[in-house]
Amino acid sequence: MEWGTRVGVILAVSGSAVGLGNFLRFPGQAAAHGGGAFMIPYFCALLLLALPIGWAEWAMARHGGERGFHSGPAILGMVGRGRIARYFGVIAVLVPMVVYMYYVYIEAWCLRYAWEYLIGGIQLTGPVDQQVQKAAEFFGHATGTNTDGVLNMSAVFWLIVVTINIILVFRGLRGGIEKFCQFALPAMAILAVIVLIRVLTLGTPHPDHPDQNVLNGLGFLWNPDFSKLSDFETWLAAAGQVFFSLSVGFGVILNYASYLKKKDDIALSGFTASATNELFEVGFGGLITITAAFVFLGASGVGGGFGLGFQTLPVVFAQMGGIGRWVGFAWFFLLFLAAITSSISMLQPVKTFFEEALGISSGKAIAWVSIVCGLGSFWVMWFSKNMVALNTMDFWVGTFCIFLLATVQIICFGWVWGVEKGAAELDQGALMKIPRPFFFIMKYVAPAYLLVVLVGFILSNGRAEAIALKGNPVALWTVGVIVLVIVLLIAMVAVGERRWRAAGLDLDGKQ
Amino acid sequence: MTTGGWIFMLSSLVLVWGTTIWAYRRLLTAPHEDRSDKP
Repeated sequence: MEWGTRVGVILAVSGSAVGLGNFLRFPGQAAAHGGGAFMIPYFCALLLLALPIGWAEWAMARHGGERGFHSGPAILGMVGRGRIARYFGVIAVLVPMVVYMYYVYIEAWCLRYAWEYLIGGIQLTGPVDQQVQKAAEFFGHATGTNTDGVLNMSAVFWLIVVTINIILVFRGLRGGIEKFCQFALPAMAILAVIVLIRVLTLGTPHPDHPDQNVLNGLGFLWNPDFSKLSDFETWLAAAGQVFFSLSVGFGVILNYASYLKKKDDIALSGFTASATNELFEVGFGGLITITAAFVFLGASGVGGGFGLGFQTLPVVFAQMGGIGRWVGFAWFFLLFLAAITSSISMLQPVKTFFEEALGISSGKAIAWVSIVCGLGSFWVMWFSKNMVALNTMDFWVGTFCIFLLATVQIICFGWVWGVEKGAAELDQGALMKIPRPFFFIMKYVAPAYLLVVLVGFILSNGRAEAIALKGNPVALWTVGVIVLVIVLLIAMVAVGERRWRAAGLDLDGKQ
Repeated sequence: MTTGGWIFMLSSLVLVWGTTIWAYRRLLTAPHEDRSDKP
């Protein structure tokens, strides 16, 4: 199994990175943490954490792939020289697997909204207050956030997106993932430009509210508030946003880059994938959502996350008149494409791990992965009230475990494998020379920065989340589901370990 | 929009567009890739 073209693999990694967070999470985080000033900790985290750790992942992955390993536990075990790193490598499968379980459900919302806009199914009429109420009602109905245990029309869309995901991953890297991303990424860029042009030409749609104009909307997000820079939370939020956005610490790059050949470039590829993600995040996400919401609803109507994307923006589209339906379709189809290029990248490393650990065919692996992930995803869909199951998985796996995996990876890379070997690997076939200070950053700065972020994250969020579990049986059971998945993956690593040793593979990186 | 807002927005946009264009230009003008297994 291998990639078809150099650009193909970059688009696949970029597709993995560009997701809902670029358009919904980033603008909300920036607006809440100092606006333009947020870009200072944001670009610091990008240069000192995400980019170097990303390069480390590309290097470890290709090195592992050359020795016959394509899954996170096997690659980290080899680079980290032993069992401890290998079992920590379970996180590189746990993260994509569990995140896929809830991500694919959100993906179904995107497809459903796009479909409803296409057929004219979302009709928000009356004054703005009524539109806001109707949008909230539609969101509750479409996502099941009002009650547990109800399957609605979104379940049908869930089935459709799950099937598309399975088919694309089953078709393989070149025929499925690469081919789809070669279509999806340019399509996303075109849709984003269309929506952006419409937003930037809105002017002042309500003459009785002259302050609600495009420039003030941009200012709402970009005007800097330097006082926020003294708040540790701002630095934490910036590091978190960069991480979630770039798919670093996700286990995806470890798998994707393991299929590259020794003479293939990884330095420029890693850089280009990060740059593409930043273009979508800052260049489009930073201009579209909050500006549009501000222009029609004012400062009080601007929020972040799902509320902004699925409740506020439909009201904005309704305010646009006849064209709003088509802008709405373009927006939600853009979100759907962004989501599916990410979700297939989560399924692929899990499938690879099943294949590699159990020694089964690709078809059987995708069948088992579909069953396990399908059950987990069904859990999220069933316990949808207030998104408790979704939020629990997102916090413990989609947030905490990402930091943890990134820490394990950069320690394995910088301190066990060694930056000299890592640098040699990155230089092999490189189309750009990585500035040498980055290797100092990889060894000293990134691990220290990451440990501070990890401890800060635990102190500011971990305790509150742990206490919240006590009074919430659904959240507690969801943690149980996560633990069950961890046990399953650990058992599979044990099985795989025996197989790899019997096959004479260098699983501890001794050679 | 304040002057600070303009400065942060425009410099961020120039940075992300600039690096993306530079990266793809370099990638697409690189010697044609040979993906065969020959050493």
